[in-house]
Amino acid sequence: MKNIIIGSSAAGISAAEALRRADPTCEIVMISDEPNPLYSRPLISYYLAGELPEERIYYRPPDFYERNRIEARLGRRAVRVEPRANRVILDNGEELEYDNLLLATGAVPVFPEIEGLEKRGVFGFRTLKDAKEMLRLLPEVKEAVVLGGGLVGLKAAVGLRARGVEVTVAVGSPHLLSQMIDARASEIYGELLEAHGIKVATGMEPAKILGDSQVTGVLMRSGEELPCQLVVVGKGVRANLEPVEGTEVRYDYGIIIDEHCRTNIPNIYAAGDVAQSYDVVRGEHWTNALWPCAVEQGRVAGLNMAAKEAVYRGSIGMNSVQLFDLPVISAGLAGLRERDFDEELIVQPAPRVYKRLVLRGDRVVGFILVGEIENAGLIRSLVAKGVSVAGLKDQLLRESFGFSEVLPLIEGRSERFPEREYQELIETMRLVS
Amino acid sequence: MERIFCDLRRCLACGACELACAVEHSSSKDLFRAVLEGEAPVGRREVQAAPFGSVSLNISLACHHCDPAPCVDACITGAMHHEDGVVLVDQERCVGCWMCVMACPFGAITPSKLKVALKCDLCPDREGKAGRARYACVEACPTEALFAGEFVEFKRLLEEEVVPY
Ligand SMILES: Cc1cc2nc3c(=O)[nH]c(=O)nc-3n(C[C@H](O)[C@H](O)[C@H](O)COP(=O)(O)OP(=O)(O)OC[C@H]3O[C@@H](n4cnc5c(N)ncnc54)[C@H](O)[C@@H]3O)c2cc1C
Repeated sequence: MKNIIIGSSAAGISAAEALRRADPTCEIVMISDEPNPLYSRPLISYYLAGELPEERIYYRPPDFYERNRIEARLGRRAVRVEPRANRVILDNGEELEYDNLLLATGAVPVFPEIEGLEKRGVFGFRTLKDAKEMLRLLPEVKEAVVLGGGLVGLKAAVGLRARGVEVTVAVGSPHLLSQMIDARASEIYGELLEAHGIKVATGMEPAKILGDSQVTGVLMRSGEELPCQLVVVGKGVRANLEPVEGTEVRYDYGIIIDEHCRTNIPNIYAAGDVAQSYDVVRGEHWTNALWPCAVEQGRVAGLNMAAKEAVYRGSIGMNSVQLFDLPVISAGLAGLRERDFDEELIVQPAPRVYKRLVLRGDRVVGFILVGEIENAGLIRSLVAKGVSVAGLKDQLLRESFGFSEVLPLIEGRSERFPEREYQELIETMRLVS
Repeated sequence: MERIFCDLRRCLACGACELACAVEHSSSKDLFRAVLEGEAPVGRREVQAAPFGSVSLNISLACHHCDPAPCVDACITGAMHHEDGVVLVDQERCVGCWMCVMACPFGAITPSKLKVALKCDLCPDREGKAGRARYACVEACPTEALFAGEFVEFKRLLEEEVVPY
């Protein structure tokens, strides 16, 4: 069997490893337009900040391809997939045939439609190359503007601040991190950033990048001019659909996959940021462009490509970050604009501890934990499993809440908890009663 | 693979396992020295009350060493990894992003102040007393509520009556 994987990051690597473990003899070809794709993308902000040297951001050792007997085509772009001919066309005109294909092409930054994006000093923040070019420009940079107050923009801002740059984050919406947290949590982060010397300007959309060949500032729609020598565009990402555009492969914002991470074409799979999978909270297909989803989807795709049945139970939105010394984890319907819930529970026992639980009927459909994050995984699992927490909802946000308190719930809904670890606990409970 | 299980009928919530775990994972591996050196040893095991119909039992909980493990999937650095069936954190590589804390459904990972994730590592540097399980928590349990072995063996134990000493 010949397997081709396009993209060699979180989803591609995970798929290749699962495939190799399940099938020691099949052929695996990985295509990547990045020459050195084995680094961890989320770590580029740590590299930018100077917290990690380049050799510490690698996610797999350099002999990854040899060790897994993978033919790597690095620095090569797949420009088109021909599903009927089972063929991938590369940017050098080469044609490769496959039995199974995985699309793990990830996502790319979205740039707003404004003038001046081509100037020297304008960056997306997605690749190690972006981070390296930013560092190379740094001696000329006194001020930087980050467009967008999402997680990636803020990580870039923190990284640049750590290098002594004066940073302004210009956010279009009225709040920071509006996809991830609500207004109150966002205020805590706004204050935290300001305290660390990062300016936050909300309700600010860019109109034009100023300068000749080199950036000298950003003109905002408000008419205000923010002088700077570097601009980071953090306005979200979009799926990298290029190789399947105009083909029979079905896509919406991302490539639609089923519970086997398969597309509408039986021998074509997709995983990671490029894929749109079933979101168990929203009840529809949705792109949750997250590292853990990419890894899990990659593994499921890889196993199915090796003809080992594996099921993907769907994703939920979630994220975890620690900016300076304050951690936050949120999941499900947690963002500013999420309104599809019946009830919210909020506790704020200390100025920098904020917890919010969002319920629909007696199911938890989202939460935000700022400052005290220990129970995040437990609550997240209740969101993902979609089980009723009727008797427990007032306890979930207590600091003392622990896993043992959900044991009866798990035992009562054992069909929802098929994983070995839960089943052992359920059997234990039944045997001791 | 050998793992650690808790017999809820025997657990008295005395906390000996928590303390033994914390001491085993302190730099000196000695309670008095750790406290004298100003280190507050952090355990990776927690005893919790488990509601059981009208009564409440106790259960000592730690990492289940899941396979596949949500924490390993979530780790952005590769610090969290499987090694011969055991889920381990390479503390050198951990950056404290807490993706693993978000992922673990059992709440078995502690985000430490030192920005590294802490969890049960099945006591890699421990020999243990001859003839007993080599894990600090199992050895310390005065009522033999903690059991080290395969789940099938543990089930056999659960099928036996508990006879008070
Ligand atoms: C700064 C930053 C911080 C982040 N932090 C977090 C975090 O804390 N937690 C979290 O969950 N997620 C985080 N993310 C998101 C996370 O990095 C992504 O979800 C993850 O990388 C997705 O993996 P992937 O394999 O699907 O795609 P990608 O990582 O995007 O990889 C796709 C690869 O395919 C290559 N490729 C694309 N098209 C082609 C083609 N046609 N031919 C050949 N090669 C191609 C790309 O160049 C790339 O190497 C962060 C992202 C960034 C940028």
